[in-house]
Amino acid sequence: MTSPLSDEDLVEGTLGGDEDAFSQLYEKYRHPVYATAYRIIQSAEDARDATQEIFVKLYRSLRSWNPRKASFSTWTYRLASNHAIDCWRTRRRKHETLDSEDTGEKAEREYAFGDAIRSPYREIAGREQVDAVRRCVDLLPELQKKVFVLRYFQELKLDEIAEMENCSLGTVKTSLFRATHAVRRALRKARN
Amino acid sequence: MPRSETRHYSEEELLMHLLQEETPEAGENIAGHVRECGECNAVLREYELVVARILRWGLCDLSAEVWDADRVRLLEQFRRDQSWLERRGLLRTLMHGFESTWSYALENPLPTLGYIVVAFAFASERTITFLKLDRVVPATSEVIEIIRQFF
Repeated sequence: MTSPLSDEDLVEGTLGGDEDAFSQLYEKYRHPVYATAYRIIQSAEDARDATQEIFVKLYRSLRSWNPRKASFSTWTYRLASNHAIDCWRTRRRKHETLDSEDTGEKAEREYAFGDAIRSPYREIAGREQVDAVRRCVDLLPELQKKVFVLRYFQELKLDEIAEMENCSLGTVKTSLFRATHAVRRALRKARN
Repeated sequence: MPRSETRHYSEEELLMHLLQEETPEAGENIAGHVRECGECNAVLREYELVVARILRWGLCDLSAEVWDADRVRLLEQFRRDQSWLERRGLLRTLMHGFESTWSYALENPLPTLGYIVVAFAFASERTITFLKLDRVVPATSEVIEIIRQFF
């Protein structure tokens, strides 16, 4: 049995036009990339489109990845979160002009998005609390949103995020605290 | 007096402690303080619950069929881009070669001039022989020979 190729090998293969290497990179990172996009954009349909766009961007800008500066996963998450923020901005603008439906309807539509989407969580956990977290994260400023998603869901360390975002560790810590504090308040409000 | 006894920790410090994002030294101080301070302990417990609730935010995942369809679409795009990149790569190689030659010529003008004359002389001689120009312009070969000997 052959050992799985490292990210460096896969990147090298992709740069050389090896479709199989790129396919393996996609297989390895599609889920975390989609998860990042989904939690920032908060729409399965848009997150799916964003994931495709992120991977196109990824192989087109692969030459700019410097392994001495960041690991491939960190570089990928940076690309993913930045693109997701752009999509979220576009989506917000669109919703502002179209006067979007309320969150409940949005959530329903999301679950009606093909039979392909499953969400076992909904049946198990308190929907109100999850909605409170979602709504709160949607209202967070961009940096707080990015730090929140990357720290809690991609489990990146804060110093990695600071390096990725080119800002100080203190700024990242404060952003994460403010975001978590806002969620704490939202959860309290939802409980009451 | 140890720091843990001097003051309460801020909520931010307690959250960083919970997420293990502080320095090991600060971590020990906070852990010591929280063991004795009910107020900080309560804040820490509340953040623990908040983080647990955040992590329960599930994902609307996509089915294997959707992923497969997306992969096919993506690989098609990859193939299209690759053929375009290959064409661009060839052009880039030619441009790069030209740039290198030009830089060499600017840095070493005399040897470059020599190469050009030799190449010209060689090409001329071949041309003269092939087209039998000697018969039309009898002195051509001699001129070429002088240039060749000169260099």
